[in-house]
Amino acid sequence: MERRNFIKNICAVTAVAAVVSPSSLLAKDAPKGGNVLTYDAAVSAITGGKPVADSDKIKLTVPEIAENGAVVPVKVNIESPMTESDYVKAIHVLTTKNGNARSADVMLTPMNAKGYFATRIKLAGTQDVVALVELSDGSFLRAAKPVKVTIGGCG
Amino acid sequence: MAEARKSMIKFKPKKFKVGDTIKVDFIVIHPMETGTRKDKKTGKVKPAKFIDNITFSLDGKAFTTMKVWETVSTNPYFSVNFKVPGKGKITVDYTDNTGEKNSKSKKLKPKG
Repeated sequence: MERRNFIKNICAVTAVAAVVSPSSLLAKDAPKGGNVLTYDAAVSAITGGKPVADSDKIKLTVPEIAENGAVVPVKVNIESPMTESDYVKAIHVLTTKNGNARSADVMLTPMNAKGYFATRIKLAGTQDVVALVELSDGSFLRAAKPVKVTIGGCG
Repeated sequence: MAEARKSMIKFKPKKFKVGDTIKVDFIVIHPMETGTRKDKKTGKVKPAKFIDNITFSLDGKAFTTMKVWETVSTNPYFSVNFKVPGKGKITVDYTDNTGEKNSKSKKLKPKG
């Protein structure tokens, strides 16, 4: 009988622990250590409320399916003459569902000769990768592509 | 200059002439810790440590500046285009959120 009770107790304790621990973990994780920024907030912080047009000029290259969300290659190519009067001023790489929506802001100059930027980013889950491009005349262009992530990379 | 980090600047293609547009790749060994991950042994949250500012310059004149967040992968890689105006030295300066500063340079040697 003693052994039976002992096993019952153990079961009860582990059950309680199993119920409690995930919720307490979530509560701890909620205020994320670094920056927390939603996609909409990031876009408005960059554009300052200016209209953003979807454009074919931006060629955004991302994998359709990323097996590992910790390393997702992103390549942005923009058709632009890159002269003193007409060049790509900035490329912003954003994600729609990461804790911090911003990944990289790249300020280019005519010395770059091409509107090109490549890097590797982390994706927490399946979501869109967005390239927000600012031209020298102050207008904004946008291109987005979805990426399926099988293992998240931000945790 | 804080602790030395392994980093690398690559020009693609390796051989180029004045006026060519080349790719300048910059790779650095850096943990890019998000500040949300836990150490599996101690159970403590690892403090955030990520590169936040990068400047590419030619002979002291910046041609590309970047702001980067923790959502960039570990051991990050950045690539931009660059038109070779002549001989010079490409320098990449980078700082991280803990104030660590580093830089890496490579000479530009166009042929012809």
